[in-house]
Amino acid sequence: MSRRFVPGRRARWALVGAGAPFALVAFVLIDAARLTAARAGRSASVARVTETPDLALSSSARWLRHPSQSEAGAAFSDLPASLDVDPAGALLGPPREVLEAGAPEAVEIRSAR
Amino acid sequence: MKRQLALLDFAMGSLRRRAGKSLALVAGLAFVVGLFGSALLLTDALKREYERGTEAMPDLTVQRLVAGRPSLIDAAAADALRDIPTVREVRPRVWGYFFFRAIEANVTIVGVDAARIDGDPGLATGRLPRAAGEVAIGTALGELLGLRVGDELGLPVDGEMTFSRVVGTFGAGSALRSADLVIATPAHARTLLGVPEGAATDLAIDLTTADEAPVVSARIAERLEGARVLDKRLLRRTYELTFDTRGGLLAALLVPALAAFLLLAWERLTGLGAAERQEIGVLKAVGWGTADVLAARIWESAAIAVSGAVLGLVAAYLYVFWAGAPGLANALLGWSAIQPPMELAPSLDPVQAFAILGAVVVPFVAVSVVPAWRAAMIDPDRAMRGAS
Repeated sequence: MSRRFVPGRRARWALVGAGAPFALVAFVLIDAARLTAARAGRSASVARVTETPDLALSSSARWLRHPSQSEAGAAFSDLPASLDVDPAGALLGPPREVLEAGAPEAVEIRSAR
Repeated sequence: MKRQLALLDFAMGSLRRRAGKSLALVAGLAFVVGLFGSALLLTDALKREYERGTEAMPDLTVQRLVAGRPSLIDAAAADALRDIPTVREVRPRVWGYFFFRAIEANVTIVGVDAARIDGDPGLATGRLPRAAGEVAIGTALGELLGLRVGDELGLPVDGEMTFSRVVGTFGAGSALRSADLVIATPAHARTLLGVPEGAATDLAIDLTTADEAPVVSARIAERLEGARVLDKRLLRRTYELTFDTRGGLLAALLVPALAAFLLLAWERLTGLGAAERQEIGVLKAVGWGTADVLAARIWESAAIAVSGAVLGLVAAYLYVFWAGAPGLANALLGWSAIQPPMELAPSLDPVQAFAILGAVVVPFVAVSVVPAWRAAMIDPDRAMRGAS
């Protein structure tokens, strides 16, 4: 008499568990599609206004703010957005006094409230 | 199938018996994949974001170099370029930087003719400036200075304070491009930046046939001495190469971490404990074949590798796109005072997700095969007696 094979409890849990990674990957892909739909192109309208593709991620140096503009003597001297020697702004910035030298006096704000 | 289910059952039992070791391996793998995945997801999302913006660029941008440095260009030079075949429009642009002492940061002032913009300019409140003395500002700048629509911002120009009324603010959604922006009319931008009448920062050129860009670039270089011409299509290709290189470099830095982890896993998986050797001896004594022991060990490794890799991918995704990559973004973006929230649009497709997972799962399972084979080759009698 042949006995019917019954998978062990652990194997059944493992088979159920095997679905979990797929579910997690599916969650990531679905959420990525949702975020892409919500976020992609939100700032593209600003690019149409300024006519540059550059992101305002770092305004610390002009070649980081506008990599699309090649700057002789700066990081992108040869080609727009070419690989710069400065790893995206460097962890250490120059002393503030250097930036402030020659900068205009403080701005003024008049509140409408 | 039944056989494999039974082996899987046994493998799960083994993992449970060595829960501490199994969890440590899953956590280590998740950490490595999380690091690796974060770098890839971040650079890929940035690359796609740049690509979306390149469409807005003029076909050609003409700068003027003096003594090897960018200089103001004569706006009248535009007239010399308008008769070049396929040139549709030449626009002198005025834009530049202004250092704000109050916030210790540069802002970008851009002169924009509001009549030229069709469609939504991305403002959250108000409108684009239409008259001199009006500006629209970015969110981050507005928050830092406490400015809202109706307020006035005074900037020192030629020793006198020049006030501009804020008529619009960009929303947080567009902060990736608008954080540090001050948009003004071209004439007002000229005043704020101190650009003399008749001069421009650069010339924007639109072509009727984009394919003619290299020919037109050559003609412009002939007509304008010291001109540097930036080609939109060249820029798009450069971005592609740059981000691939940067992303590759960042990922390459993490390869040693992955290699070290695989080495550790190899060492852990190779070193069979006395209890495990005895277990294998018993299994072989009761009729398990070498292939069965091998299969059970591979099931164990696969379960660890898939769990760790998937958890790492999910963690990387949540870290970059839900949390805004704190730490990693700060390290990449440097010391700028104005930083927009890192709300990037993911550029993740199934192929990319499975490529990241495959890059870790396959080598992990592969390094476990040899130790599994060695374990399976143990003589049952010697193994049960505890011999190595």
